[in-house]
Amino acid sequence: MKANKKIYLILIVLLCTALSCGKSNNPVDEPVTNGFDKTAMLTNYADNLIIPGYTDLQQKLQLLTPAVNTFLTAPTTLNQQAMLQVFKTAYLSFEKVSFTQFGPAETILYTNFMNTLPATTNDNSDLQKIEANISSGSYNLSQNITVNQQGFPALDYLLFSANTVQQFSAANSANRKKYVQDILARMQDLTDNVLSSWKNSYRAQFIANTKSDAGSPIGYMVNQFAYEMDQLKGPRIGWPFGKQSGGLIFENKCEGYYSKTSLALAIENLSSLKAYYIAAGSGKSFSAYLTALGKDQLNQSILTYFDNAINKLKAVPDPLSASLTNNKTAVDAAYKEIQILLTVLKTDLASALSVRITYVDNDGD
Amino acid sequence: MTATKNWLNRQVSITPLITFRITFGAIMLFSILRFWWNGWIETQYIRPQFYFTYMGFDWVKPLGATGTYLLFLLMGLTALLVLIGLWYRIAIILFFLSFSYTEMIDVTNYLNHYYFISIVSLLLIFLPANRLFAVDVYLNPAKKCNTVPFWMVGVLRLQMGMVYFFAGLAKLNYDWMVEAIPMKIWLPAKSHLPLIGALMYKEWVAYAFSWFGAIYDLSIAFFLINRITRPYAYIAVIGFHLFTALFFPAIGMFPYVMMLSSLVFLDGKFHQALLRLVAGHTYFNQAAGAYQFNRLNQQLVLAFMGLYFLVQTLIPFRYLLYPAPLFWYEEGYRFSWRVMLMEKSGNTFFYVKEPGSGRVFEVNNQEFLTPQQERMMSTQPDMIIRYAHYLKKVYQARRIHHPEVYAEGYVALNGLPSKPFINPKINLSAQKLSWHHVQFILPFSK
Repeated sequence: MKANKKIYLILIVLLCTALSCGKSNNPVDEPVTNGFDKTAMLTNYADNLIIPGYTDLQQKLQLLTPAVNTFLTAPTTLNQQAMLQVFKTAYLSFEKVSFTQFGPAETILYTNFMNTLPATTNDNSDLQKIEANISSGSYNLSQNITVNQQGFPALDYLLFSANTVQQFSAANSANRKKYVQDILARMQDLTDNVLSSWKNSYRAQFIANTKSDAGSPIGYMVNQFAYEMDQLKGPRIGWPFGKQSGGLIFENKCEGYYSKTSLALAIENLSSLKAYYIAAGSGKSFSAYLTALGKDQLNQSILTYFDNAINKLKAVPDPLSASLTNNKTAVDAAYKEIQILLTVLKTDLASALSVRITYVDNDGD
Repeated sequence: MTATKNWLNRQVSITPLITFRITFGAIMLFSILRFWWNGWIETQYIRPQFYFTYMGFDWVKPLGATGTYLLFLLMGLTALLVLIGLWYRIAIILFFLSFSYTEMIDVTNYLNHYYFISIVSLLLIFLPANRLFAVDVYLNPAKKCNTVPFWMVGVLRLQMGMVYFFAGLAKLNYDWMVEAIPMKIWLPAKSHLPLIGALMYKEWVAYAFSWFGAIYDLSIAFFLINRITRPYAYIAVIGFHLFTALFFPAIGMFPYVMMLSSLVFLDGKFHQALLRLVAGHTYFNQAAGAYQFNRLNQQLVLAFMGLYFLVQTLIPFRYLLYPAPLFWYEEGYRFSWRVMLMEKSGNTFFYVKEPGSGRVFEVNNQEFLTPQQERMMSTQPDMIIRYAHYLKKVYQARRIHHPEVYAEGYVALNGLPSKPFINPKINLSAQKLSWHHVQFILPFSK
């Protein structure tokens, strides 16, 4: 009887400890493994891809400001052409950070404000809103509903659509000029904001968390591979190509339609995604992680599919908006390869790394 | 026969039932608050525009924002009432109804432990878990009981035992036992764990986990029933579920539900000791009644229980009526305690065709489904049909004449490369939901 009582007491104490300690968070520190060093991988991503990506974009936007101002002061075709080159460089640089919508970028909806796609809706309502903002001169660009009235798509339209030079030469163009400057300033602010968060605090958090569950850096990145591929297949190419509209083409839905940079942007986006996958063959990448897990065959397939998709995209004649009508076969070929790559990233890669493509946290069993 | 009857009807301490009621109410209340706090009411029951219902339960509809919050409020309140034992019978009935209704809104949210909670609350309706240490007996001391017929505790033990045993049986398959898959896939994702993290890449660890899991599930109920092994078995329960909570935090409340529910295996003396910590000595020494149904009720309830457990025993085997492999088709997969058994993920592209014009519209799944819904739908045939039917309606409303819905799907199962899952030539909107084997899923190939 006595002994029995003791056992019961032990059980009660055990249960209580179990219930209480189960609730607390376990400290996260990565032990040295002989399998794969995830901390080294994350450090590599932070220091050699993500932070340099934002630094590069910050510089490219700094170069864009004087080029835009020159054009606004003297709106000539020549200045527009000069500005186009700088604009294009900045937009291409953005494609390198488009993948990193997590951490500080997620907090401020960075990618949404910088580059919500498609840039125009069927009825061009975004453009109407931009024009309304300009004529009223009152707008609050930090509101979430204004995501498609700013960023690169808005600049693309304002600076490179058909009558741009005349519009900025007109006597009443002060509001329009101010709107362009406001947008550009906001893009710089947002970029500075994300970059400084990465440098000051988020980098440490990022490399310290080697979990793979929802909300972890690895979980986020695998989700982003799927997300960027969905974007490429949908708004970047598929939607303008009429894939969802029964073949009805919407060429003005192309990313960078007015500056005719769509194809270059798509290629850069996909090449950046591959760059994130292999991390310059450093051995500290998702590619190396798969190999370490004994999944080299999958890794090789993914690399092949990346190259196939990039090559087929490169085979599409520029500009993309014209090829949607004139070179359907080439666009279709690229589209098919994109779909194959999307499937292998969303299904096989995620599955091999035990990451759920859900973007949200919830219970499972 | 009479011996069995006597064995079932012998009076035993009511206290295991009492602890069960209190812990069940408490953990339900906590779970509901946690669900609310995490914003999941919004993301799972309000935001989606389309819901995957269960066959025969198409009348279960989401209740809109206000309705859903009221439903959760009702669930939370009734859980609290169960916990304190006030208006117990009506509270547990309402809890059972509101909880089950919520779970039936969307197949996407199916979890074995939600199903467990549903059926346990159904069983609790018939058990007098409010006859001691409850507000009900404080208000009406005449109702106080110290003992109940043994079967009233027994049904809960049997139910728990079946959950474990069937979960164990399900693990006895080639991938789990011989290949140690999915453990081999899941464990390297846990290398962040302190001390043992480095072991997660080792193959033998995956085997150890798989085999230990299977043996634990198959045997734990027997060790819990045996008087001598019982205390040690319960220590194993705590250890095992703590381990799973640590390794797989995504399974949420499940380990805690099982740890607390398994207390029901311990005998009256343990529960008295436990409850005495709260109630004091004298409370249990007072004389009180022995609970007994009247003859008719007793027979009705026992007949119900017999039928219930017969059904519970058959349901996990219904997969045998369908062509293999079960993991590919998932026909007869749910409601069978197949917990964390496979690694499966998929991706599906839907195409709506207008036969007259030949126009093809590719579907943007994100327009209609949440990421979670899309993920679950991509690997489960019945959800694919339901979604195809929905798409037909949507595109009809968009003035597409006689829309036909086709899909191209890929599924990666247990570490194999993704394979084509759906026959792209079959018009899914014309497929009927039924108990028959699905025709539009392509055969599984290694």
